Amino acid sequence: MTSNPVLEITHLDKSFGALTATKNVSFRVLPGEIHSLIGPNGAGKTTLVQQIYGALAPDRGHIHLMGRDITALSIPERVRAGIGRSFQISNVLMDFTILENAIIAEQARRGDSFRFLYPAFSDANLIAGAYQILERVGLADQAGRPAQDLAHGDRRILELALALATAPSVLLLDEPMAGTGPQDSRRMADIIDRLRGQVAILLIEHDMDVVFRLADRISVLVEGAIIATGTADEISGNDAVKAAYLGDEG
Amino acid sequence: MLGYCLDLMRLGRDGIRDNRLLWLLIAGFGLFPIFTHFADLPFWNDVAMRIMLLGMAAMGLNLVLGYGGMVSFGHAAFIGIGAYCVGISQFYGITNGWAHLLFSLVACGIAGLVIGYLALRTSGIYFIMITLAFAQMLFFLFVSLETYGGDDGMSIDRADFGVVDLYDPLRLYFLIWICLALVGLALMFIVRSRFGVTLRAIKSNESRVEAMGLVPLRFKITGYVISAVICGLAGALFASWQEYVSPDIMHWTRSGELMIIIILGGLATLAGPLLGAIVFLLLEEMLPWLLAVVAPAYAENWMILFGPILIMVVMFGRGGLVGLLDRWRAANKAGRLMP
Repeated sequence: MTSNPVLEITHLDKSFGALTATKNVSFRVLPGEIHSLIGPNGAGKTTLVQQIYGALAPDRGHIHLMGRDITALSIPERVRAGIGRSFQISNVLMDFTILENAIIAEQARRGDSFRFLYPAFSDANLIAGAYQILERVGLADQAGRPAQDLAHGDRRILELALALATAPSVLLLDEPMAGTGPQDSRRMADIIDRLRGQVAILLIEHDMDVVFRLADRISVLVEGAIIATGTADEISGNDAVKAAYLGDEG
Repeated sequence: MLGYCLDLMRLGRDGIRDNRLLWLLIAGFGLFPIFTHFADLPFWNDVAMRIMLLGMAAMGLNLVLGYGGMVSFGHAAFIGIGAYCVGISQFYGITNGWAHLLFSLVACGIAGLVIGYLALRTSGIYFIMITLAFAQMLFFLFVSLETYGGDDGMSIDRADFGVVDLYDPLRLYFLIWICLALVGLALMFIVRSRFGVTLRAIKSNESRVEAMGLVPLRFKITGYVISAVICGLAGALFASWQEYVSPDIMHWTRSGELMIIIILGGLATLAGPLLGAIVFLLLEEMLPWLLAVVAPAYAENWMILFGPILIMVVMFGRGGLVGLLDRWRAANKAGRLMP
């Protein structure tokens, strides 16, 4: 018996003029799993993530989150429904400290940002919640540092923290290791590994070592279509995948 | 209830401590008439009122421009709407000042909501242009309304606030002063609040705020309406101060003036717009006089000096005058700590 999927994509199509970016894509992300989406450059990974996130509308097909159809929802509505996201290019609040970043995310999650009287940054409840977020990714000890001063790797981790702060049921991580050195890359992989079982994760990643280390299941996207889904062993043994993708990497 | 009030008073006290410069300036305006009385310079009360009014409007615009990162080039329109609400109500025989204020604030709130709702769908240069376009539309609307004086505007009486007769000396001065202090107090609470923090976060990175599950447009429109209402209040008082309303009050150059005042004083600071208004209007007042003494032949061309001074402050004083003051204080402190 399989459990109900957290995220279910069914028959998703998207084209830009003559270019078909997403071709009848269906797959499921199960509770607590790390599901990796891989594919060669230009396979349409980001286009697919944009549709799940709500930044692009699919031409056809449906996206269900915890059984609820979210295909027509806006980005903020999807986030509140349970989709968290980190971006390919670091996307944190540069003008604020790490702690302030987390406080703003925490007040957003609580849904009471329309308050005009009490100061946000000295609110004990918000600060406590913010520290909880930062502890999950190991940034609590540098809470007072401005986001602007952070090294690239720390900034990526802060972004992951902000995505987690919305208490998502599925986390979309769009190349979380992009541009980080080997050390930061390992740090990030360890954090993602620790999240396994707490939240379902859809991980888009180029680094095959990371993917094979982290992913419970892998879906392979080639020219907009999913050609295989399975465990790391199944995927590395799959002939179609070898031909289309792994083959050209040697 | 009592606990709540005590809480607010504590927050207010903390806020005043954190924004000493703003409250020093406001206190200075409160004491200024004593100086003009003993120095026998009643004309300067008039200058001070003008500074407070433009400073108040600039503080309102700063919520949008500085804290929210929305470059609105049409805020003079709200000053104009506020002022015309006073003029038009008097035209129809309504002399009650409280009613004037109510009309001004409500009208500016509605205008801010409509303009904000439409203009905030754009950003960057388009937003600047569309806010300017709305302001110009309103400007020419009032130019074309012959009933209300058209181009020439109309003379009005100072509003009637019941117990207070604004024609008594200094009554209008202190009405403006109280409004300025209230605006300062309100903004002080707003920018630290969850709403204010969210507005600043949107300026910093709108797509991240969206990814947190918030709808940025709602916060931007709310900020826009608040700032429009503050400019409307300044406009209504402006009308009483001038005893005259004309489309000139909402000329596009005034929108520019407000922006220069904010940038001169310091974007996204509470004291900046007020300090900027003081320096801007004092320069405007003093430069011609100074030049008349030093180089009489050029006294009319005081703007030749005015422009470069503004450009220098903007170029070399990052963070405007408030930024300069902060750095100067930090340097002093560092100097004192040296062995």
